[in-house]
Amino acid sequence: MAGKSGREISIASNKSALSRVLSWEGALVLIFIAVNILGVILSENYTAANVLRQMPRYLAEIFILFPMGYILILADIDISVGSIVCLSATMACFAGNAGLPFPVVILVCLLVGLICGAVNGAILAKFTELPSMIVTLATQIIFRGIAEVSMGSGGTISYTNSADLIPLTTMAGPFPISFFGVVIAAVIFIVVLSKTTFGRKLYAIGSNKTAAYYAGVKVEKIRFIVFSLAGLMSGFCALVLLSVLFSANTTTGQGFEMEVIAMAVFGGIATTGGKGNLVGGFIAAFIIVCLRVALGLINMNTQLILVIIGLMLIIAVLMPGISQRIKTMKKMAKQS
Amino acid sequence: MKQKSVLKQITKSREFSLVIVLIVLCIVATILNPSFISPTNIAQIFRNNALTMVMSVGMLCVLLTGGIDISVASILAFSGMIVGMLLKYKVLENTFLLFVLGCVIGIVCGLLNGLIISKGNVAPIISTMGFMYIWRGLAYVISNNQWASGADVVGYSDFGADGAAGPYIIIAVVFIAGFIVLKWTKAGRKIYAVGSNAEAARVSGINVDAVLIYTYVIMGFLSGLCGALSVSIYASAQPNMQYGLEMDIIASCVIGGVSMSGGRGSVVGTFLGALILALITRALPLVGIDAIAQNMVKGILILAVVVLNVVTQRMMDRANLERREM
Repeated sequence: MAGKSGREISIASNKSALSRVLSWEGALVLIFIAVNILGVILSENYTAANVLRQMPRYLAEIFILFPMGYILILADIDISVGSIVCLSATMACFAGNAGLPFPVVILVCLLVGLICGAVNGAILAKFTELPSMIVTLATQIIFRGIAEVSMGSGGTISYTNSADLIPLTTMAGPFPISFFGVVIAAVIFIVVLSKTTFGRKLYAIGSNKTAAYYAGVKVEKIRFIVFSLAGLMSGFCALVLLSVLFSANTTTGQGFEMEVIAMAVFGGIATTGGKGNLVGGFIAAFIIVCLRVALGLINMNTQLILVIIGLMLIIAVLMPGISQRIKTMKKMAKQS
Repeated sequence: MKQKSVLKQITKSREFSLVIVLIVLCIVATILNPSFISPTNIAQIFRNNALTMVMSVGMLCVLLTGGIDISVASILAFSGMIVGMLLKYKVLENTFLLFVLGCVIGIVCGLLNGLIISKGNVAPIISTMGFMYIWRGLAYVISNNQWASGADVVGYSDFGADGAAGPYIIIAVVFIAGFIVLKWTKAGRKIYAVGSNAEAARVSGINVDAVLIYTYVIMGFLSGLCGALSVSIYASAQPNMQYGLEMDIIASCVIGGVSMSGGRGSVVGTFLGALILALITRALPLVGIDAIAQNMVKGILILAVVVLNVVTQRMMDRANLERREM
């Protein structure tokens, strides 16, 4: 593909099939297949229908993966999303128990998430010097704190009209309905990132904020929008989580932020900004979901999964450095 | 350049404003509840926050290099769980040896962090996040669904028992050693140099990788030490112990004026920051705020402190600019 000036503007077009497989996304697909083969070997219950039925409880987090990918591309980080999920779920329970119709409950859930995200975004846009890590650390404590206060001393709240939530858990054929939600969100977020000016601006800010600012990109506005999006998607996550758990407590969503960041990084998005795409993150998310289902089926200690995810993460981030080192070593050998 | 008067230097420093905040907090809390300033209460504050205080010195070093370590609470759990299990099954019951063991485990964990971050060129938050999962997961695996209770650690818990001097000695030693090392030794100044400008440090002959490695080793050492200390103070060891402590530690550093981008921060500031956070947690029930609301208020205060910091910095910059124009 050539631009107006005749200059090559796309490097992806003339990649050979081999280099495509050797790219990180190709490797992820192979790992995905390997995990599924492992699942089949480990347990005879590891069938497509079974995996899809078990999936919803792990799917919820993936909603947050997409805006988190945007945030990481901006070279920012948001560690308050888990608390936003907790607060949204709590408020949805209150709204549902107050007898509001279900569409209003959904609206409350999403709105609470959006407001929380907008608070993050507004602070970060107003005080650009502040690192996002610190601001979202504070709001992480605040949002969960508000949820704790509203839940009172019991520390838990259940959704009494559980019949309301049943439409969210229905299966469309073999697929749970939340699976379609994730796929639709994935398509929207991936297309926006790679095909629109908004997406390209994210990369511009992530690679060099000052340069992007002088090139006329409204850095603060985009930061605000992206952090608000993270809040909104946390609202979706809370909704799916509610449809599985029918309740919320003070630890709901705890650690989601780290799991989501791990998925994104595993998928090849660099935390230093400006690099990576969501396709990799999306595949990585399903690798982790399938791994969880498989290890859950053989009743493996759930905490051991933490160790495996941690090891996978570290190996994944070490890979580029190692391959670089091998390349330079080969070059050195050739020269001598 | 004009010599600044001593008074002006003191009042302009970051630590001075922290001391004022501290004094105001103490006065308000004492007015509301006269027993706040009593020696027993103060001693309780230090004992209950010993872990945060000790580890904030290590976190200060890590933040000074421009990095971050979120695996510290997991290292603490891992080393604490090993100590707890050894006591439970009566394999090793010597308090001193158990503390040494905790420290060694911490050093190994820190060394792994340091190696991967410096030699593997991995972003600190990602590498330490991976290890956060690994050590916490291993702590669960070691525990094998058991936990060490007060009866299991009966002799060992004397060291950190209520009224014992152990935790206070450790806090004092760590802060004094941290102050001396960061202020007056080559190793300490190198940490500042790497954090201010890694490239410049490399050009001037500092082995940046080595500095990064020993910084994370210090952090790991203190986390391992706190694992052993935690078992002693709270007389129990569970795999989920001190979950989320890393955020408290980072918060006390940030309140103490440590910059997240590296190169700026001091041991005194960190100590004051940790003390302010501890006092707030202790004072809130006295002011009549429910235990449930404490987290919310704590978060708002952290946010207020960092925003205030930015606002004053902007005002100072503007004042400096105006002076230059004249």
